[in-house]
Amino acid sequence: MTPEVPSVLSELAGLLVRNAAPDVPDAERASALGLSSMLLALAAEVWDGAAERLVQENRALAVLLDDAASEASLNLSALRAENARLRARLIEAHIAAERAGDMAREEAIWTELRASTERRKLSVSPV
Amino acid sequence: MSHPLEPRLAAYVAGRLPAASDVAVNALERISGGASRETYRFRLTYREAGQMHERRLILRRDPPASLIDTERRVEFEAYRAFHGSAVPVPRMLWLEEADAALDHPFFIAEELAGFQASPQMLFAGGYEAVLRTVAERKWTILGEIARADPRALGLTSVMDAPALDACWRRELDHWEAIFDSDEAEPQPIARAAIRRLRAHPPPPAQKLSVVHGDYRTGNFLYDDAGEIHGVLDWEMAHLGDPLEDLAWGFNPIWEFGRGLAGGLVAQDEAIAIWQSASGLVADPAALHWWILFNCVKGQGIWVGSARAFIDGGNREPIMVYPAWWLLNAQDRAILKVMGRL
Repeated sequence: MTPEVPSVLSELAGLLVRNAAPDVPDAERASALGLSSMLLALAAEVWDGAAERLVQENRALAVLLDDAASEASLNLSALRAENARLRARLIEAHIAAERAGDMAREEAIWTELRASTERRKLSVSPV
Repeated sequence: MSHPLEPRLAAYVAGRLPAASDVAVNALERISGGASRETYRFRLTYREAGQMHERRLILRRDPPASLIDTERRVEFEAYRAFHGSAVPVPRMLWLEEADAALDHPFFIAEELAGFQASPQMLFAGGYEAVLRTVAERKWTILGEIARADPRALGLTSVMDAPALDACWRRELDHWEAIFDSDEAEPQPIARAAIRRLRAHPPPPAQKLSVVHGDYRTGNFLYDDAGEIHGVLDWEMAHLGDPLEDLAWGFNPIWEFGRGLAGGLVAQDEAIAIWQSASGLVADPAALHWWILFNCVKGQGIWVGSARAFIDGGNREPIMVYPAWWLLNAQDRAILKVMGRL
């Protein structure tokens, strides 16, 4: 998810401390804590599968792009960086396929894009 | 405990009410939501002509960094233009574009009290009997906005007036530039949609209309009978193709998972209401272009929200929630509209 989960959790930690102070207006505390609660729930939902999803997707993209997905580090930040590199290449490949009129190639790319949204789909997704 | 903004706000209002004395602000509280402006309600009391007065008002202040970067004068003037018309809006009082009074620009308006805006409450079950009425009012009011003459409203002095055949390009250029500047990671689905939109542009607009820019369930005030008492959140208002506004509400995101336009009625019913009220026609192919465009625009907003947080300009949770909740859902909405889901 973007922004990255660790940076959001870090911000929420500070926000919780600030809202423990007695001089925070009640309505603002309620709003801040309510939103924080929803964010923590989303972070909890993606936590366990985050690395697995990125590895799966990076491997699928590498096959599609005839590339190699780096797994030198399994830190989420490293996997996300590799995912961004491969998805930037996917955009280039998509443009090339459109220009060449390569319908089969386009269809393969759309199949992967559809799969990518299934991997990322949250339980509360409205679509 | 009083809010630290109260004495500063009272000092500002006192300057705008030179005939008043004993000006006081109290009960100031922030209203949740409002990712593009900080929104507060408060009570203003003052003495004038020997009598005490009490008014319930709203303060809309720019945050340090916003989900949407817009001129507050445009929003202020859009509200003011429609006040007293068939489009219900709160009355605007004062616009302050300098930072001195409250650190950021802001405006103050009368509060429309006693109504609800929450889509979650609307769809929780208690309003099922009036959802058709809400829909009738929602798209009738949008038809009135579309039908209005921007020049007669005085809005061409604060908003650009594009040529009828340039409306689509102006908007698409704007939102593509948001991706170029704000995206934190590649967006292959939105980029493909942008290429499709450029390759197959819509026909020229039927007329130049005021476009609210965020007309959806959640941005109007409703009552228990389904009547709408105020259209809010005009910060993205501009002049353009009236189909743009109709199509924004058909972004699948705003179905709220109910499979209905705006979560209210079938899309065809909404279109029929709008056509009847506006006197305009929603050409299906043109409308489809604008629906896909609005999916791209939506994604641009969520991308911008994430960027505001990442850059540190605004670290509030409200900047994260739309990005986490909707970035992937908006991609799915794009796929759905393109027939790829």
